[in-house]
Amino acid sequence: MSKIWFWCIVFSICVILYINPEILLPSMLEASENTLKLCLSLCAIYSVWLGILQVMEDSGINKKLSKILSPVTKKIFGNLDDATNELICMNISCNILGMGGAATPLGMRAMQRLDDGSGKANRAMMMLIIFASTSMQILPTTVIGLRITAGSTSPSDIMLPTIIAAVFTTVIGIVIAMLIEKIKERTSNKK
Amino acid sequence: MSIYLLPVLILLVFVYAKIKKVNVYNSFTNGAKQSLGVVVNIFPFLVTIMIMVQLIRISGLASLLAKAISPAFNLIGIPQELCELVILKPFSGNGSLAILNDIYSTYGVDSYIGRCASVIVGSCDTVFYVTTLYLSNTKVKKLFYAVPVALLATLLGTILSCLLCRIM
Repeated sequence: MSKIWFWCIVFSICVILYINPEILLPSMLEASENTLKLCLSLCAIYSVWLGILQVMEDSGINKKLSKILSPVTKKIFGNLDDATNELICMNISCNILGMGGAATPLGMRAMQRLDDGSGKANRAMMMLIIFASTSMQILPTTVIGLRITAGSTSPSDIMLPTIIAAVFTTVIGIVIAMLIEKIKERTSNKK
Repeated sequence: MSIYLLPVLILLVFVYAKIKKVNVYNSFTNGAKQSLGVVVNIFPFLVTIMIMVQLIRISGLASLLAKAISPAFNLIGIPQELCELVILKPFSGNGSLAILNDIYSTYGVDSYIGRCASVIVGSCDTVFYVTTLYLSNTKVKKLFYAVPVALLATLLGTILSCLLCRIM
C-alpha cells in the first residue's frame, strides 16, 4: 500500500515538473480541501448512522441479526467473539442495503477488535477488506440518481446487471481468498 | 417501492427500541457523539490518498496508463472508452463518479458505454479507499493477499459487467 502510494506520487510529480510545475502545489491543496469537505459530509452521515446503530445495539436488534447471519460469517471469517461477529454482521447488512456510509464506521470498529497489534493482518481482517471493497450492493441508489440527472430514459435499466455483477464480484473475491488460505494451510502442514 | 425501504426500516428500529424500553434519545446521542472522533481519525489517511489520486489525474498518468493497457482491456471485453474509469475506480469513489458523469455527457446515458459504466460503478466499491479507511485505526502494515485479491475480483466483475450489458 505505502509502496504503491510512494511510486505513484514520485512518477506523477516528475511528469508534472515536465509539463507544468506551477500547478503542483495548488492541486495538492485542492485535493486536501476536497478531502476536508468530504470529511465534513462524512461526519454528518456518520452522526446519523451511528446514532441509529446505537439505538439498534441498545435494543438488541444487533444480536438477532448476527444470530441469523452467523452460520455464514463463521464459514468466511472463522471463529469470532460475539461483539466482533455482531459488528461484522451489521457491516455486511449495511453494505447489502447500499448504506455504505453506515457500513464504514462499523467496519472500522470491527477491524480494531480484530487487530492483534502484531502489524500483520489476520485471515478475518483480510476477508473483511475483500468483502467491503467488493461491496455487494443491492440498491445502486447513487448511480440511478446520476442517471436520472443525466436524462436517461430508463434509469433503473442497470439494476439487474449491477446486482448480478456485484454478487459475482464479492463471491469470487471470497472464493479466491479461501483457496489461498487452503493452499497456505497445506504448505504449512507439509513443513 | 425502494424509496420506502429506508424510511420504514429506520422507523421500525425506533419503534422496536421503544417497545424494548430503550431510551431512544440517549442512545442516539451516544452514537452520534462518536462520529467526530471517527472522522478525525480517518482524515490524515484520506488526505494522503486523495492527493495521490489528484496528482495521477492532473499529471495525465491516469489517461496515459489507460491508453497503454487499453489493448489488453479490449482483449478481455472492456471497451477502451472505459479504461480511465476502470483504473481510477479502486482509488476514489468521488473521482469515478466525476468520470461517470463525463462518460454520460460524451457517449450518452443510454448508450452501451453509458450503461456499462453505470454497472461498473454500481457493482463494486473503491478498493484502496475502503482499505485505507478500515485499517486507519489499527496497527496493520502487512496486508498479504487482501488487496490483490480484491482488485482481481473487481476486474473479473468488470469483465462480467461489460458482458452483461451486451446481452441484457
